[in-house]
Amino acid sequence: MSLYKNSYFLVSLVFHIYAPVSGDGVNLTVSDSADKLKEIRSLSPAAAAAAAISSPVFKPAVDSIFSLNLLSSFPEDLEISDYCSDLLHIFGQRYVAYVNCLVPAARPVKVCQNCFSRYGSLKETYQNISSDQMGPGNVSCKDSLLRSDRLMVVYLLYSNLKELWGKSNCDNCITEDFHSLTNDTLYFMATLNQTLTCFEKYQQGNHTELCKNCKSTYRDLNQLYGSMEKNHTMCIDIEDAMNMTRRLWSKNFNCSFPREETVPVIAVSSFMLFLPIIFYLSSFLHSEQKKRKLIHPKRARSYASLMNIQDKLS
Amino acid sequence: MANITKKVSWSSRADESGATGEGTPLLNGSEQPRHSRQDSLRGRPKEIPHNEKLLSLKFESLDYDNIENQLFLEEERRMSYMGFRCLEISRWVVCGLIGFLTGLIACFIDIVVEELAGIKYQVVKENIERFTEVGGLSISLILWAVLNSAFVMVGAIIVAFFEPIAAGSGIPQIKCYLNGVKIPRVVRLKTLVVKVCGVICSVVGGLAVGKEGPMIHSGAVVAAGVSQGRSTSLKRDFKIFEYFRRDTEKRDFVSAGAAAGVSAAFGAPVGGVLFSLEEGASFWNQMLTWRIFFASMISTFTLNFFLSIYHNNPGDLSNPGLINFGRFESDSVAYNLYEIPLFIAMGAIGGLLGALFNVLNYWLTIFRIRYVHRPCLQVMEAMLVAAVTATVSFTMIYFSNDCQPLGPEHTEEYPLQLFCADGEYNSMATAFFNTPERSVRSLFHNQPGTYNPLTLGLFTLTYFFLACWTYGLAVSAGVFIPSLLIGAAWGRLCGILLASITSTGSIWADPGKYALIGAAAQLGGIVRMTLSLTVIMVEATGNVTYGLPIMLVLMTAKIVGDYFVEGLYDIHIKLQSVPFLHWEAPATSHWLTAREVMSSPVTCLNRIEKVGTIVDILSNTSTNHNGFPVVMQVTGSDEPAKLCGLILRSQLIVLLKHKVFVELARSRLTQRKLQLKDFRDAYPRFPPIQSIHVSQDERECMMDLTEFMNATPYTVLQETSLPRVFKLFRALGLRHLVVVDDNRVVGLVTRKDLARYHLGKHGLEELQLAQT
Repeated sequence: MSLYKNSYFLVSLVFHIYAPVSGDGVNLTVSDSADKLKEIRSLSPAAAAAAAISSPVFKPAVDSIFSLNLLSSFPEDLEISDYCSDLLHIFGQRYVAYVNCLVPAARPVKVCQNCFSRYGSLKETYQNISSDQMGPGNVSCKDSLLRSDRLMVVYLLYSNLKELWGKSNCDNCITEDFHSLTNDTLYFMATLNQTLTCFEKYQQGNHTELCKNCKSTYRDLNQLYGSMEKNHTMCIDIEDAMNMTRRLWSKNFNCSFPREETVPVIAVSSFMLFLPIIFYLSSFLHSEQKKRKLIHPKRARSYASLMNIQDKLS
Repeated sequence: MANITKKVSWSSRADESGATGEGTPLLNGSEQPRHSRQDSLRGRPKEIPHNEKLLSLKFESLDYDNIENQLFLEEERRMSYMGFRCLEISRWVVCGLIGFLTGLIACFIDIVVEELAGIKYQVVKENIERFTEVGGLSISLILWAVLNSAFVMVGAIIVAFFEPIAAGSGIPQIKCYLNGVKIPRVVRLKTLVVKVCGVICSVVGGLAVGKEGPMIHSGAVVAAGVSQGRSTSLKRDFKIFEYFRRDTEKRDFVSAGAAAGVSAAFGAPVGGVLFSLEEGASFWNQMLTWRIFFASMISTFTLNFFLSIYHNNPGDLSNPGLINFGRFESDSVAYNLYEIPLFIAMGAIGGLLGALFNVLNYWLTIFRIRYVHRPCLQVMEAMLVAAVTATVSFTMIYFSNDCQPLGPEHTEEYPLQLFCADGEYNSMATAFFNTPERSVRSLFHNQPGTYNPLTLGLFTLTYFFLACWTYGLAVSAGVFIPSLLIGAAWGRLCGILLASITSTGSIWADPGKYALIGAAAQLGGIVRMTLSLTVIMVEATGNVTYGLPIMLVLMTAKIVGDYFVEGLYDIHIKLQSVPFLHWEAPATSHWLTAREVMSSPVTCLNRIEKVGTIVDILSNTSTNHNGFPVVMQVTGSDEPAKLCGLILRSQLIVLLKHKVFVELARSRLTQRKLQLKDFRDAYPRFPPIQSIHVSQDERECMMDLTEFMNATPYTVLQETSLPRVFKLFRALGLRHLVVVDDNRVVGLVTRKDLARYHLGKHGLEELQLAQT
């Protein structure tokens, strides 16, 4: 069910995509337009949620009454320094920004192409926090922020996202400095766009037309994907896009190869299956049956000899 | 005067009429009246079609009993304490070498199979992909069938024309060898070469076979070769390990080799030792166990080491044996008390299916022995089986509608898409379009939902018949992996069905677990091993948790299967008419006495015998006896001759070859005294008597056997019951047992005299001797 829905969504997405192909160089627009669309839709609850989450980080002083009671009595030197709390603040903001970007990019997956810059800045902040370098006032925030309690909230939050990033293989699609997508990825996106354009063009009416006309671009795309698969230059975005395209091609447009050679296959295989029968029959009928010559061992015949001896004895 | 161990290669004519060597001077006179009657009973030789109730004449016993003659005693006296210590150390060295070489061979087979099969499947896959698009898939089918047949043809030709003994898994043959039966050519270098090449061809040729059984045979051959310190085939003698050149020592090393083979095949050192204990060795002692374990360990280690180099991570020794069952993840290994009855039920199914497999294979093998006995026919049959296997596989894949999405880490080696949607693969193809070993692994470990029940059902059905048809062909191939595969398929099917019956079942009925249980049940049902198989499965999956279920399953499978028919290896031993001695004499045989069992009359030799007589006796083709009681006539009295020793044909031949005649020794005083070494140099291929020339003058010489005969042969009285004789014979590994009456030789009991009794459906039955 959900598959169908998704593919349906992609189709509708394609419509959105096709219209504004801006000359921004980066095909980010492809997704950006869709993203924006969705962001608008989802912004209000997400923002509210984000605000709810982030508020305690922003203003620890005006927290709920509960924690206020607990915290208020700590002496000055145990509190974190201003520098660190600033860092924490920035971390929070960037965290929220990244998560805000991730959630709408979940389906269809665009977590790499949409959010790589935000992840870059988040990573930068975290590196600042976790570095051993002393900030102003000779304080290192590493200890105070990262490992002064059992829970280690900051570390946990960050490692979650890091794992997500790692799982999505985004590193393969993004340049080292989190500046842009790699050329391979961009090329793939362009090819994908071509294919989707083609799909859209022939979508109305008979699908056989589509299968015929878009075959070459689709095949190019498949080959490109295959080569990227071999080189390990893929991230989840590409995989997902390809999956969806394949599903469109095979399931929605029914362009898979039909099973139409049943008769020759059956003919050949029944011929093959017939051969052993002939073989066994002919060897049964014509081959000389192997006979064994019985040998009669020399031995004292049991009862006879027994009786003989008994006779003799008596 | 006769025993009945004969060698077919020596007797060119099966001429019965001139038998019984009446010309020999020593006859036990008391037997005369019965003689004529027996002759009249005999008539002309009867010919019957081959069946399981025969004993073949071509099999002889091995000399597992030490020949304690004067030479032996002398050598032992000369040997220092250090000498014995060195022997012990060299035994360990030999075991280490056996393990090492066996591991190397396993590694070689594995790598070559992987590479060649990779090429084959790649070619076929590309072809199928191309023709899926443009049409003409029947050409792919033909290509596949032709490729398969070509590989199998090579394998079958080398087996059928060059070394027929290398056919099959080799486990029955090794079992016989360790039981004390000398199977001609079973531990030769040529056999090893043919076996290794043959198994590569048959696995690459896509037959429903595995490469594990042949590994056991290969290990045994390696052991028999290494321990001798020379190769008779290559005519190289390294002058080492000369002490081990006799059957007793060789037998111990062969059991070590078999264990090393198992341990390399399954990555199961302990399993290997236990296999050797359970299936192989009929003779066992504790020191041997430890040495065999050493050989097994070395073998696994060697295999792991070289495979790790091949897989580009040298030094990683955790890579398990030839078959890698993969690891079960920890959360899926749990099982509960209420699953035990299910496991036992599956064991019963395994026993039933195994019995069915064995019965079908039994009839097929009889047909093959009777009608498909010419080598060219055997090659053709093997090729046909290969072609049909490819055809059936292709048809199944072609008509399968079971499409599954590609996994994230591409566990499928050669995914075939065919008519599936893009990004999906045909799940029937993972079972058929793969080496059997890989298919087993994917059945064990793929996630639930990878196979749909129809696919598995069809696969089980076709593979069952294919495997049954394949075993017994003239190719070297084992039955372990096909059995595991069949079992894993229906086991997985059981798991899926159980999960679908119970609404909340998906939590406990993990298909992989049931696949493992099914595999164990099926294999147990076919080969009927229990202890060693349990340990092998546990070791191969690296999972002790399943020990209990596997044990229960194997036990049930054995009990259920034994109710219908014997294990596959025993069936094949029987069909080859091997005089195999089981642990016990048949249950209802106490009324039989040695007198009825023994062969009589016996050809005896005098202690100082005329050379001409000896040559005549040895060259008599109808009485190819191997052991001759030596008797001594008390001078000056007409009492019958007394038994004073036993001498073997092989010893006599060596004596004749070295012309150890009394007259010559007198005339040439400088002549070197014959030593035990001369006998060892001739071992194990003693020349036939025809190749030894004895001039007319020499025929008149005399030979003194006193020094060379075994002065204290085992004897029994005439009235000893069969079970007693059997026990003595079996436990001591005897070859000849003299039946005496007041120290007068009246008969001789040999292996074939004892092996012919077996408990059939109608009580005690007697097997017939036949020439094969």
